[in-house]
Amino acid sequence: MKVVGKNVTKIDAFKLARGEPVFTDDFTRRGMLYAKVLRSPHPHAKILNVDATGALKLDGVVDVIWHRDVKAIPYTRAGQSHPEPSPYDTLILSPKVRFIGDRVAVVVAESVAQATVALEHIVVEYEELPALTDMDEALTNSEILIHEEPDPQGISEAGRTNIAARIDKQVGDVDAALKKCDLVVTRDYHLPRVQASHIEPHISIAWVDEDDRLIVRTSTQVPFHLRRMLARILEIPEARIRVIKPRVGGGFGDKQELVVEDLVGVLALRTGRPVRLEFTREEELIAARYRHPQRITMTTGVMKDGTIVANRMYVLADTGAYGSHALTVQGNTGQKVLPMYPVANIHFQMECVYTNNPISGAFRGYGAPQGCFALECHIDEVARELGMDRLELRLKNHIKLGDTDPLSAKLGEGKEGLVRVVHSTGLDKAIELGCEAIGWGNKQEPSAPHLKRGLGMALAMQGSGIAGVDWGGATVKLNDDGSVNLSVGATDIGQGSDTVLAQMCAEELGIPYDKVIILSSDTDLTPFDVGAYASSTTYISGGAVVKAAAQVRGQLAGVLGAHWECDPDTIVFSDGVVTGPQDQSMTIGEVALFALYEAKIQPMATASHMSNDSPPPFAAQFAEVEVDTDTGQVHLLRFVSAVDCGTPIHPIMVEGQIEGAVAQGLGYALFEEVLLDRTGRVLNPNFLDYKIASSLDVPDMVTILVPTDEPTGPYGAKAAGEVPIDGPAPAIVNAICDAVGVRMYRIPATSERVWRGLKEETR
Amino acid sequence: MWNLQEYRFATNPAEAVALMRKGPGKGAYIAGGTDMLLEHPSCDFVVDINKAGIGDIARTAGGDLFIGAVATLQDIVDNSFVRGFAGGAVSSAASQCGNRPVRTTGTVGGNLCNALPSADMAPVLLALDATCYITDEDSQESLPLTDFFVGPRLTVLEDRLLVGVALPGECAGWRCASHKLTRTAEDISLVQVAVSLGVDEGRIKEARIALGAVAPVPMRAILAETMLIGQEITAITPDVLGDVAAIAAGECDPLDDHRASAEYRRDMVAVLTRRLVARILADDGDNREGGAA
Amino acid sequence: MNISFDLNGTRADWEVAPGETLLQAFRAAGVFSVKLGCETGDCGSCTVLLDGQPVNSCVVVAARINGCRVTTLEGLLDDDLMIRLQTELVEHGAVQCGYCIPGMLISLYALMKQDPHIDEEAIRHALTGNLCRCTGYVKPVEAAKAVVAALEVSK
Repeated sequence: MKVVGKNVTKIDAFKLARGEPVFTDDFTRRGMLYAKVLRSPHPHAKILNVDATGALKLDGVVDVIWHRDVKAIPYTRAGQSHPEPSPYDTLILSPKVRFIGDRVAVVVAESVAQATVALEHIVVEYEELPALTDMDEALTNSEILIHEEPDPQGISEAGRTNIAARIDKQVGDVDAALKKCDLVVTRDYHLPRVQASHIEPHISIAWVDEDDRLIVRTSTQVPFHLRRMLARILEIPEARIRVIKPRVGGGFGDKQELVVEDLVGVLALRTGRPVRLEFTREEELIAARYRHPQRITMTTGVMKDGTIVANRMYVLADTGAYGSHALTVQGNTGQKVLPMYPVANIHFQMECVYTNNPISGAFRGYGAPQGCFALECHIDEVARELGMDRLELRLKNHIKLGDTDPLSAKLGEGKEGLVRVVHSTGLDKAIELGCEAIGWGNKQEPSAPHLKRGLGMALAMQGSGIAGVDWGGATVKLNDDGSVNLSVGATDIGQGSDTVLAQMCAEELGIPYDKVIILSSDTDLTPFDVGAYASSTTYISGGAVVKAAAQVRGQLAGVLGAHWECDPDTIVFSDGVVTGPQDQSMTIGEVALFALYEAKIQPMATASHMSNDSPPPFAAQFAEVEVDTDTGQVHLLRFVSAVDCGTPIHPIMVEGQIEGAVAQGLGYALFEEVLLDRTGRVLNPNFLDYKIASSLDVPDMVTILVPTDEPTGPYGAKAAGEVPIDGPAPAIVNAICDAVGVRMYRIPATSERVWRGLKEETR
Repeated sequence: MWNLQEYRFATNPAEAVALMRKGPGKGAYIAGGTDMLLEHPSCDFVVDINKAGIGDIARTAGGDLFIGAVATLQDIVDNSFVRGFAGGAVSSAASQCGNRPVRTTGTVGGNLCNALPSADMAPVLLALDATCYITDEDSQESLPLTDFFVGPRLTVLEDRLLVGVALPGECAGWRCASHKLTRTAEDISLVQVAVSLGVDEGRIKEARIALGAVAPVPMRAILAETMLIGQEITAITPDVLGDVAAIAAGECDPLDDHRASAEYRRDMVAVLTRRLVARILADDGDNREGGAA
Repeated sequence: MNISFDLNGTRADWEVAPGETLLQAFRAAGVFSVKLGCETGDCGSCTVLLDGQPVNSCVVVAARINGCRVTTLEGLLDDDLMIRLQTELVEHGAVQCGYCIPGMLISLYALMKQDPHIDEEAIRHALTGNLCRCTGYVKPVEAAKAVVAALEVSK
């Protein structure tokens, strides 16, 4: 292959390195107004009245809106395919607030400063309601209802309980199987709230143009879902809306959501002027989305020889005040994780509750990091109790080539799924190479008596898109110099999909990479795509690109076949040159000139791609830690990731995905946690106290790509973006246990938690 | 700072105080502003003291080290006088304050006057017997840094101006080290300890143990210090170290907060005290950059 | 109030509010390489050079830079060291979403301008004020080391 598999220059890298104005906020439009949200100080309350007279008198303040100014059309803010598997439990502005930080009113003014000052001059009358912030309590308390809407749509038990979503699926018979096991191990694992913390905040700008259309320029992962959602809730035809995605400064799932677009849309329509709304970092940590906190109870039944016979996972999750992604994230906790050990008896149950806490949603891994933490820690626990080697137990039981994912038919992402068979896996190779790289079995001596070293591992699998649901389109148009315009709905949020898709297009057409001009994620100009989530872009959107490019190649072959009087199938496109069976030869540029000016056709094709498969990428990840037994501090010395993503279309970009995921995963393991007090108020809504990894917090990282050939993927590719975030936390916690014999059932394993664990051990 | 009405510039300390007292409304001194801009204080005006002539670092004839209040943290890291004083402990402490861009702008005066219980520069300066110089409109006063802090975010200043701190020449040869316990590599302190020992012919003549983030104000562990003073170095066995550390831990008064519990902080005071004293006694007191315990 | 200063070699006269930060003033004036990430001096996406030293413009009050020399990425696009840094970052795959990159470039530029003979530890120390959520810092540090190595060779 000439382009695929090569480390071409990332298509947008130079303009980013020059600081060119390519992000959403690098833009002004005459008359632009600035919006600020007034947020609730109460976790649960009715808004009786909003008096904005004081605010409206201030310099520069143009308008203030609250729920009486906006039609109440229930929707979900989750960016998912229609019909969304998330409850329609949200209003643009509601007469009730359900968490500290919930929207109350919105000010729009001539400057951010004026809008911010105006917030202090809005007088709100609340009727406070009792609040539920504990998820166990929310599970059983039906006196306090967080969603009691008279016309609930998709809220599973509206008016009766605080359950946002429930799943109970079983294959085989776990209870019967457990009775026959030699050993049954049950443990609880606790996963915290963490936040994606993309460095570019949420930001949207909307305006009504000269054709009376609403244009929304926004930092999003889901432009097409946004267009559809906005049309419905703003009650204007979709044809009158255009969503444009500029460069995005990171999303990680937090932008797979309508976060501020509805507000700028409402205000742009109302004021007739462009409106901008940008979140502060504080708002990011209060009013964006978190990874769902969960408590997971794992029960595993094994035989003496290490054969796992049954697995049961019960998940209790807190979706916060609104239910976006409540069903699907938690579904993934089981669906993406349990098949790693494809035993005959698996029971997955989950209950996801509403609380008056801030909102959980999508974050890279989407339920799998939580589940993988529980499962992979649990495997180590089982090994310990069984007296079996941790690696051996995994090697004996993990999913292999040709195996069926036993949960796939019963537990699709949000609905009855499609059977998934493993057609490609490099997991054993990844384990072998990873063990070698970390020095598995060879613990190094620590550097001082109060320090102890340990090694830990974790296996992970994910998916490549949502089978039967995710899809995308691509258009390829040839220009008269042999360059092509590649137009895709697929959403580059920094991960480099523009580059990868251009590579595939170039490879399929046999032209150089620099002849591909890519345009993406503009709802007027590009074909549909579900957007950048579920690790779908390379596998699904890439499939559409390959199809469209192949069709254009076919058109050109047809034209040349007539011209050269030969069978089109014998024409070869390679390296920018097109050759016929009798050594006829033209450059792609000459072919293009001929097609456009002689044949007088526009070689162009649009194709769509969907897959009923979601082939899992695999990861084997390993950590070496050194624990200070006096302070409890965990120093992560080295981290190894060996990842099978099928064919790496761009190897160093895949490495980049892995390395970034590891940095996020180690934060999850060691120091990231959004802390709430009992009333659901965020205690650390800033980077001073919500710590993400800096350049000194990441270890020596070794990244190993284990190529396989996935038959259903474009050029053999699978996904890479999410699987590497699943393994770091369990690998690190397993390493801590190896070092000091203390199991952290709760992460982050802060120094104080480890210290406490050590003290309890010595009692 | 959305509500700020006026930004005033002072060209000397007395003028700064006068501008502060002029009003109307509430004012604040601003140097780097890195802490102030986090807190969005509701002041009506600020008095900029960056050009008020109080940024120099100098060694006096008597060997004292004078650090001007608006000397930046990076100035303190880089300055050769500071690096040569007490084994470079003050430079080392400054190098652990925030990140590089914050150190360019943030000042030692700002760090002390903001008076957080976790003020990063306070423990090492307390451990080196720092004296504060405070200016009024027409007079100047000095007092020990131990008397400077009144409570969390509260100093004795009122509307007067801190112009600098001085470290006595006698401390220049002390062995000194500090360490802050953090959640990640660059972080506010959960606990900070600074220890200095004046050693003469194998005997500890002077000892200072200063603690940060474990009391309403940065403080000295006086009782623990007295256990060390007068002792032969060879008499400081691990058991003695353990006792000293336990006493120091008993002298502090930490809070439970979202960063750490009081119990953990107290235990860490003991751990860090023990380690720092042992380290100072073991080597000749030169501080490695970063000063890890 | 008026501030008058040197911006990238040209005199700038700006009208700013007393409490306005340098970041807010930059964004309003269209100096878009300087980015908003946290407004607390933690993430470094707003890093610029003030009299040659890196500062977080989000915690610098614009009023106090009267008479100072301010350098942003826009002013260094023709600088050899900056071009080297940009090229290595791009070639090493260190640019993912790119949002932290201008700040990171300014920090690395300031570091290497002062002393190009530095090791990995010094690079990492200099970068703690530039938070990146995409790369895990692996390729940015590799790229910086490559620049150090190239500068050694070219001596």
